Amino acid sequence: MDRRKFLKKSALTAAGSIVMPYILPSGRLFAQTGSPMAGHVVYVLFAGGVRQQEAISQRYLDDSQGVNIPGNIMYNMFNGAAPAAKVVYGTDVPGEPNGSAPISSVLGNTIQSMGTTFAEVRATTAGHYSGLNTLLTGNTGVTQGLKQKPVFPTIFEYLRRHAGFSATDCWFVGNGIGNSTPLLDFSNHDTYGAQYGANFLCPSVAFGADGVEHLSNAKIYHPDEELDPMYKMKYFLDNAFRSNGGIPVPNIGNTEDEKQAIKQFVADMFVKKQAGQITAPPVSDNGDLNTIGWACEVMQRFKPKVTVINLSNVDGCHSDFTGYLRNLHRADHGVGFLWNYIQTQIPDMANDTVMMVTPEHGRNLNPNPILDENDWFAYDHSDANSLRVFTQMVGPGVMPNLTVGSENNPIGTTMDNVLTIGEIFGIKNDILSAGLMSGGAMSLFDRI
Amino acid sequence: MIMQGSKRLLLIGLVIILGLSSCRKEKDIYEVNPEELQLVETSKFKLKTVNQYVAILYANLFQEALSANKLVEINRLFEAIGDDQVAKEILISNFMNDPSVVLPSDTDMRSDPETFIYETYVRFLIRRPTEAEQTYFMNLINTNSDITVELIYFSFAISDEYEYY
Repeated sequence: MDRRKFLKKSALTAAGSIVMPYILPSGRLFAQTGSPMAGHVVYVLFAGGVRQQEAISQRYLDDSQGVNIPGNIMYNMFNGAAPAAKVVYGTDVPGEPNGSAPISSVLGNTIQSMGTTFAEVRATTAGHYSGLNTLLTGNTGVTQGLKQKPVFPTIFEYLRRHAGFSATDCWFVGNGIGNSTPLLDFSNHDTYGAQYGANFLCPSVAFGADGVEHLSNAKIYHPDEELDPMYKMKYFLDNAFRSNGGIPVPNIGNTEDEKQAIKQFVADMFVKKQAGQITAPPVSDNGDLNTIGWACEVMQRFKPKVTVINLSNVDGCHSDFTGYLRNLHRADHGVGFLWNYIQTQIPDMANDTVMMVTPEHGRNLNPNPILDENDWFAYDHSDANSLRVFTQMVGPGVMPNLTVGSENNPIGTTMDNVLTIGEIFGIKNDILSAGLMSGGAMSLFDRI
Repeated sequence: MIMQGSKRLLLIGLVIILGLSSCRKEKDIYEVNPEELQLVETSKFKLKTVNQYVAILYANLFQEALSANKLVEINRLFEAIGDDQVAKEILISNFMNDPSVVLPSDTDMRSDPETFIYETYVRFLIRRPTEAEQTYFMNLINTNSDITVELIYFSFAISDEYEYY
């Protein structure tokens, strides 16, 4: 070998040895910048319109209806004694006033005692969709329109792009398809977008009456004998289309195997539903609780790295304060059940999951004139009190029994959760480097 | 006299002959050049909405229109399953399980694959196949006994080109 060839080969080998280690099996170009604290995150968007007064402040009727009865109706999540009288938030007992039997606590210890609670967090908005956007993008998104995909990348996109997660590593389980919720699976941002999106699922619709009619009779094709040739034909057609200038259809990039796994899951869930075997909390008499049950099924099957669960029943407070108390009590029941299910029923996620809970916004200080069955006033969400919320975290790496901030000392914002999840998965700096977060956003770990 | 009469007759005859063969306005004849009605090139660049996709798919598979109510129901299901590709595959496989789906028989396909391929392209992609496409599917059908009409229709229905118009 002559000297020139030797030098050329040596230079190429050296360059290759520098570049190649960064092309990781996950498909990422560079190694993530931090170490993961946990393998999984379950992120509960704890509904829009949770008044601090009835939640973490535990004032029950004391601060809303002029009835001097305080108490904690969320005793899976917060420390504190339940109300001593006028119990309306439980289940019905024949011969007793409606809702007079409180639901038993699922957890032996509260989330507050097992984890860290940010007692007074500021929401960036009093609107549902913009609130959900902030919780998922870490950005106030002042230009964000309704019925429009998020303007800024979602946590799903950051995780798929920077942590190398697959599509079925990321799930967004919603309890409805209203309020543009299905649009939150990915943003329309140029450098992120559909290819880094999450699998959205709204089980109440997908497995409801319409689903039974149009989806439940699906064939599951044989992977080798049927699907393989079918996809080969599709790819042939796609190549022909693209060679003529055709544009690929944007999609979230579930692989063939992932698509097959989802189709099998859907088919199996119809069978389970028919048999009455879908997982559900002990009390599951509203949409939120059923959604949590379905989310457990998703987690049991896919063991996602990140599962976002959207709750919304408490928003009935616009016209029904009693119903709001019941749904708040049930949301707490659902969160307790969820944490217990992860720890006891999903070995792959037990002791390796951080759960975060934050409402997208609070509710007003003063009521509207609508009275409910108990002659109690209802509450909307539009004033400064609507920007008061809490955040709870529990799991590996999260300080137990720590409460940060108070009513007079707010610490944290709803923008912080994206960077917090980024830190849990070791990609906080990657997210910051993208430069698309709101200026005030910080990881909650950095606020302690 | 006779001579003069003959000349006159000759003159009249000549005038008649010249009159008949003189310049006349030509008749306009309108024709259409022979053209293939189904194009080969794909000039589709507008993505179908879910409603358009489902309505057209249903018409292609069942040879009849989908009711407005069912279209709304299916549209809701697409919103409930975030990945449109997955939702489409589940929906198509449901349609394929419906006894009223209108598919040619596998025997018909194998007895005249060329016509089948042509008709499939026209049915789904509104164009005729290129020679390369015709050859690919001919070979596939002739050499692979597992290939069915259902699988071919399925692959057309989930192809990128079918998503555009």
